[in-house]
Formats: sequence, structure tokens, C-alpha cells
Amino acid sequence: MRLDRSRPLLVRLFVLAILILVPPVAMITFRALGEFERGMVPELDKKAAAIGRDITAQVERAVELGIPIDHLVGVDEFFRPVLMANPELRYLAISAPDGRVLFVTGAPSADLEPHYREAGQATNLTIGDFLDLALPVQSKGERVAAVHVGFDQGYIASRLSDIFYDIAVVLVASLIVAFEILLFVVFFNVTGPMKLVGLVVDRARRGDFSHVAGGLSGDEVGHFVRTLSTTIRRADDQYRSLMAYIDEVRAAHFDKSVVERVAEIADRVKFLYRFAESGRPAVLRERLATDIRLPLFLFVFAEEMGRAFMPLYAREFGQSTGLFTTEMLMALPITMFMVGITVASPWAGSVIARLGTRRVFLTGLIPAAGGYFLTAFADSVVQLIVLRIVSGLGYALVTVACQTYISRATLEGKRAQGLGIYVGAVLTASICGTAMGGVLAERVGFDATFVVSAVLAAISGWLVHRLLDPGAEGGKAADDGDGSASDKSLFSLFANWRFTALLLFAAVPAKMALTGFLFFLVPVILWRAEMSLPEIGRTIVLYPLIMAILSAVSARISDLTGWRTGLVAIGGLIGGLGLLLPLPQLGLEPSMAVALAIIALGVSHGLSASPQLALVPDLCWIECHTFGRTRVLALVRTVERLGSIVGPVLAAAFIPIWGLTGAVVALGGVVLVLSVIFVVCSFAFGSGLHLVAEEDGE
Amino acid sequence: MSWSLARKVSAALVAILLCTGLLTAVFGYYKFEDVLSSLVRSRYSFVVFTIKKNIEDRLNLGLALRQLRQIQETIELEKVRDDQILGIEIYDARGEVLFNTDRGGIGVSVPAKWLEPLAQPSSQPFSLMDDDMQLVGLPLVNNLGKVEGAVVLRFPSAFIDRELGPLLSRVAVELLAALGLFSVIALVASYVVLGSVGRRLRAMERTLATVLAEGGDAEPDPTDEGGFESRYAEFVAKTREAVEHIAESTQEVERLDRLA
Repeated sequence: MRLDRSRPLLVRLFVLAILILVPPVAMITFRALGEFERGMVPELDKKAAAIGRDITAQVERAVELGIPIDHLVGVDEFFRPVLMANPELRYLAISAPDGRVLFVTGAPSADLEPHYREAGQATNLTIGDFLDLALPVQSKGERVAAVHVGFDQGYIASRLSDIFYDIAVVLVASLIVAFEILLFVVFFNVTGPMKLVGLVVDRARRGDFSHVAGGLSGDEVGHFVRTLSTTIRRADDQYRSLMAYIDEVRAAHFDKSVVERVAEIADRVKFLYRFAESGRPAVLRERLATDIRLPLFLFVFAEEMGRAFMPLYAREFGQSTGLFTTEMLMALPITMFMVGITVASPWAGSVIARLGTRRVFLTGLIPAAGGYFLTAFADSVVQLIVLRIVSGLGYALVTVACQTYISRATLEGKRAQGLGIYVGAVLTASICGTAMGGVLAERVGFDATFVVSAVLAAISGWLVHRLLDPGAEGGKAADDGDGSASDKSLFSLFANWRFTALLLFAAVPAKMALTGFLFFLVPVILWRAEMSLPEIGRTIVLYPLIMAILSAVSARISDLTGWRTGLVAIGGLIGGLGLLLPLPQLGLEPSMAVALAIIALGVSHGLSASPQLALVPDLCWIECHTFGRTRVLALVRTVERLGSIVGPVLAAAFIPIWGLTGAVVALGGVVLVLSVIFVVCSFAFGSGLHLVAEEDGE
Repeated sequence: MSWSLARKVSAALVAILLCTGLLTAVFGYYKFEDVLSSLVRSRYSFVVFTIKKNIEDRLNLGLALRQLRQIQETIELEKVRDDQILGIEIYDARGEVLFNTDRGGIGVSVPAKWLEPLAQPSSQPFSLMDDDMQLVGLPLVNNLGKVEGAVVLRFPSAFIDRELGPLLSRVAVELLAALGLFSVIALVASYVVLGSVGRRLRAMERTLATVLAEGGDAEPDPTDEGGFESRYAEFVAKTREAVEHIAESTQEVERLDRLA
């Protein structure tokens, strides 16, 4: 295992995390489920007895009126509603004293009769998967028949099966959190300091003792770093003593030849070795992109916890007013959150330039976490909307601060790697947050879930406060441009029709589908389909899951083949077509159609998201050079957020006209039409002049 | 207190393990309680339903609700059958209790919220919760569709905890034992996994000290060609060379200085 590489250590630790977390949880789950099943049997027995007693009383009344037991009529009509009202019951039967089945509903009599004949007057039988409770029917003190109530042993297991999914969600989320924490522990405590040690060692082995590695941790790596630093400082002290002595001799010695010779010695030492000129070795510090990953993960986790139920939460306040329908009121919190992000994002860049990433992260946390906390106490949709705007402003500040931090901490040649850290943290947080949010909201309610969000956001702030060095600011992304071009001239980018087409017909519809369909329509449709909040969360998670898998593959394909336009076009078409799946003509169950549409959206965005960003410098590389790639990409994000804003509002506007699934199809239609336009445009991307410089020179 | 790498990693793993165990237990318990509560409620709903049917059959014969004196025996019999039932009450549309398993409660008025379900257009079953008891009820409707009153059954909220206390304690003890055992495993495994890192770092520190004090060379792992240890060996050699060179230079300067 190499000490300066994190992968082998991480693999070992992650395997360890799996071995530590999975077996005890699995073991306890199976044990507890067994106990729970056994604990429920007496309760089922009591219920079967209550039902059996009632039926027996009615049968006895009929027999007492003189109706022979085998001549009763309408027994099936009597049994059927009882079975329908009590799903745990599988059958009801009446048997003669010799075990013959006289009447049965819910099971074939041939399955029961041999057991009744064999059992005689026993009251409890196990017949296959059924537990059979027999109650005697008495007439004039004589047993004339028995009423049998059969319930399904598998019923309890099926009712408890949801626990498996909840526990699976908790376990997967725990493993992801464990991975993030271990990643942080390894990078912060081992790889980061060892990388610095590597730099110091590389300098020193070439004779340069001017630097020592920073780091004050008390672990083995910290001890090693301090030992190395002490050694270098000791050499530095000896060097400085020698130089002081030489200076003294040169200043005070009367023999010129001695002075010359000590000067030669000083020159020789200085020639062979390099020591710091400032009087002591400089402390080498380097920030790593991974330092911000855990706080970012926790922050996005906090925001994503509301994903599975935000429109449902809004609906709790929402009564239609003159201006807005109920659906519109449910959509507005999502839209206004996006407005908050859109407003704050362009401004966040200049704030970061003034205050630095650490302070902007901490400043952004105040509205974000405060927004989550107060959302728990909102009592009107207007309050909710205002709080979502506030949270959106904070969200933009925090995420832009993280992007900038990562961008500044990443070398130019490793920018994709830096982007990977950001996207990785956001996607894993999205998977965990959405799924856990659904499970938590089901158990503790919407309000308490928002409080948990606020706490998680506060923890992310505490981590940033503790871990990021306040002094380690500054630096500028290498592709920030010369900064001479003004914002006004930035809009000249839209004169580049390829850029405009990419934005309007690929980026905007993608975001429209994301917020309109996934964030707004999916929770509402699945809730109407009587799915629970954890189920809604698990269904929505399909999107980031597929995104996470596909985006890495598509980024590689895009880099290898350069076929970025094609991937963006195909992605757009898949997204649009996927949203047409709830069309009634296709005959799919609404919840199944929605799940498939989510998968299609995940595939769509997984294929197109990375190539879309990579395409921007291809389409306008002169503009990227003039304005800086960061500013051009910031403009792309701002414009595509218009799609995020429009999506939920458009979907809500469609609902009164075409209903919920109709709204999905209509939104899909809009996305598909825009995507088709992009496909048509993309055929012309490669032809003609497409650089500002070329056009200007024409 | 200084925290070794193994201690940091094991603390993180144990914290995650405890959180996971706790969340799993809480979610599992609530789910179990949900399922069991719904089963208990549905059993009592059935009991209420049979009483309702009994009463409505008589109402349909034209009898007034307060005249159905046999119902008092029926509800008392149901209460005797199940000691978890706190009480069964039948009240009219104005809220006056006509029959009650606790005969002292006959004639009193029911809380206002017990009347709210009767105002609903459909005669659906209803359930209410108080601090320490739950209630399931059904409206009594005559054959003209008029709501005559309701029958309600009360049972204690803590029933499930009481019934399943031993079972839950057993599961909790097993959970704690598993968490304890795996916490110890996490601790030991972290020391095993990260022990090699500490050992190698300490070995490199010792090498540095030995080479600087006694001379000689650091010997890197032959499999680590071009890796950190090879570069470190060069660093050790260069540091020793620098220290010795500076020491020799110092001696030379002293010698020259003494020439005076």
C-alpha cells in the first residue's frame, strides 16, 4: 500500500465499513422480524375469534329457527363482504361434525376437507400457509357444525415487508455517509498531509530545505510530518549558525585569505543547498478539493430531504385563491426556490471574490439553514414561498462557494477531476437525502424533517468553520479570463446561434423536465396513487442513481469520441419521449409509467449533462477565452435555471386542463418539441463559420 | 488527547454504526407498531361493527335507540370477553350516553369531538385518540338514513407497549449486544487495517533518526521503485549529506578562524 495514494486505503476502509455495518443490521432485522411476526399471531388469533364468534352466533340463530345447517342459503353472500373487509382472512367455512365442508368462501373445499376430517374437534389447525380457527356451532347442547376462520400466515410478513425497504434505505444511506466520512478522514488526515510531505521531500532531495509541511494533527501522519519538519528545521538551524559564524569571521578577521576562504565555504554551501531566505523554513500549505466535499455533501443532503414531499407539504396550506389554483400553489415553492438560486448565483461570484469561499459558505448557511428551520413552522403558503426564496439564496451562495473552492484547489489539468468531486458529492447526497427524507417524513412528519435539514446544514457549517483555514483564501481559477469584458458584453454570447440553440433547446428543456416533472409532478402523482412517502422517495431516487452511473460513462464517451452534440441530442429526445410514457394509450399503470419516465429522465440527463457543459467551450471557445470559461458557464447555468423556474409553473398550469398524468405528457410534448429543434440545429453545428472571430473577420 | 488514525476511523465507524442501529430500530419499531395498531383497531372495529349491526337491526324494526335495553348486556359481554377493552358506550345524536359498560356513565354527555363524526355526510367508521386511550366508533343509522347516535369502543394506547414489552426488551438487548460486538470489531479491525500505515511511518522516522545519528543509508522497499519510499530514501540521504556538509564546513571555518 503506497502512503501517498488514497485509493488502496479507501478500498480497505470501505470494505471494513461494509463488514461493520451490514451484518449487524441484517442480523438484527431478521431476528426482529421473526419476533414481530410471532408477536402478531396472538392478535390475529383474537381477531379471527371475534369474527368467528359473530358468524357462529348468526349460524346458531338460523339453526335454532329450525333451518338444517346444510340447507342454509346465501352463505357465500354473507361470507364475501366479511372477507373483503378483513384482508388478513383468507377463507371462511362451515363444516359438518364429520369434517365435510358444507360451505366455503375463499379456498377450495378439497384443500380443507381432508384436514377437517383428520382433526376431528380440534380448534386450531395449520393448513399449508393458513392458520385455521374452528368454533363449534351448538344446537340444543349438541355440536351440529363448526365455523372455520382461516387467516394467512404470510399476511403479517407482507405487512412488515415495508420495513425491509426502510431499513435498506437507512443502510444504503449509512454506507454512503460512511464512505463520505472515510473519504474525508483519509484525505484530510493521510493523503493531504502526505501529499504535502511528498512536495517537501521532493524539494529536499534536490537540496532545497526552504519548506516544511504544515499540519498539526496528533495522529501517526501528524507525528511523521513533525519529525520531518524538525529534521529540516535542525538542518536549517545548523545552516544559519554556520552563516552567522561565517559572517562574524568575515567581519572581524584581519587575515584576508581566511575571509576569502570562508566566503568560498559559504558560497559552496549556498550552491549545494537552498535554505529559506526569510530566516526560517516556510510552512507549505495546500488546500484540497476534497476538504469541502463532506460539508457540501451534508448541505445538499439537508436540501434534498424535502424533495420527496415539498409539493405535498405546500398542499397542506394550499387552498386555491382567485389568482392561483391549488396546483399552482403547490408548484410555487419549488419555482421560487429556483428563483432564489437564479438571483443569487451571478451575484455569488463577486461576493466570493470579496469575502472568500469560507466566509461566503458560512454566510450562505444562515439563510439556507434558517429557511429550513422556519419552514417547519410555516403556517401559510406565502410564508413557505418566502422561506423557500430565502433558502434558495443561501443554497446558491453555498454551492457557488463550494464550486469556487474546488475550482481554485484543482490544477488546470485536473479540472474534470474537481468537477467530479462536486458532482459526486451532490449526486450521493441527492440519493441519500431524498430517500431518507421520505422515510423520516413518514415517521416524524414534514415539520420535524425540516428541522433535521436545518441541523444537518448547521453541521456542514460547523465543519467548514473548523476545517477550512480562514487564511488560505485567494487564488483565481486559471480560466477566469482576463476580466476585461463587461457583463453587458457577456450577453453578446447569444449572437452565437449555436450557443443560443444549445441553451434554449437542450439546457432549458432538461431543467424544465427536472423541476416540472421530477420535483413537482412525481410526488403529487405518486401520492395520489396511494404510495407512501418512503416509496415516493425511493422512486425519485431512481433519477440520481441512474444519473450517477451514466454521467461518468457518458463523460468518458464524450471525451473519447468528441461526439458531444449527438449525446446531448439523444439525451433530450429520450427525456421528452420518456415523459410521454403516461399516455393512456400505452396502457401503463400511472405509478409504473411515472417510474419508467423517471428512469428515462435519468438516462436523458446522465447522457447529456456532462457533454452539454463540455460542448460550451467547443461552441464558443473565443468567448470563453475573452470572458473566462467560469463566467460563460455561469451564464449557461443562469439561463438553464429559467427552465427550472418555468417547469413547475407550466406543469401546474397543465393540470386543470389535462389532469396529472396529462400534465406529464404535455410537459413531455414541450420538451420533445424543443429537443427535436435542437436535433435539427445540431446537424448544422459542424458547418459554416461559428466563431465570433471568424464572423467578425468575414 | 492525541487521536491515532485507527482511533479516528473506528470512532467514525462506531458512530455511524450506532446511528444506523438506532435509526433501524426506531423505524422498525414504528412500522411494527403501525401494523399491530391497525390490526388491533380493525379487531375492535369489527366488534363495534357487530354491535352496530345488532342495534340497527332493532332500529329497523321501529324501536327507539334508548329502548334497546338488551344492548347493555351485549356490550357488557363484549367487555368481559376482552380485558383490554376500557369501555363500550352508545350515545344518541345529541351526545347523551344511553348505554355504557360502566353503568355509572349512563346519562352523561360525551365530549364534543365525539359528535363531530356524526355530522359527516357518510356514516364512516371513525377513530379518535386521547392522551392515554384510543377510540374506534361507528355511527348508528336507521333505515331512513338518519343518524341516531354512535357506538364507540375505548382501549388503552399503551396496550401495545404493555403486550409487547418483553418482546421489545429482548430485541433491544440483542440489538445493543450486536452493536457492542461490532463496535469492538470496528475498533480492532481499524487498528489492523491502519496499523501498517503507522508501522511504516514509524519505521521511516526511525530510519531518518538512525541515518542522521549513525550514518548509513535508508533502504526503500524494492517494490516501491519511484514511489514515496524511494523518494524518501533520497531525502534521507540528501538531508544527511547536507547536515554532514554543514558540520564539516563549520569545522573548517573554526579551523580557519583559529589560524589567527
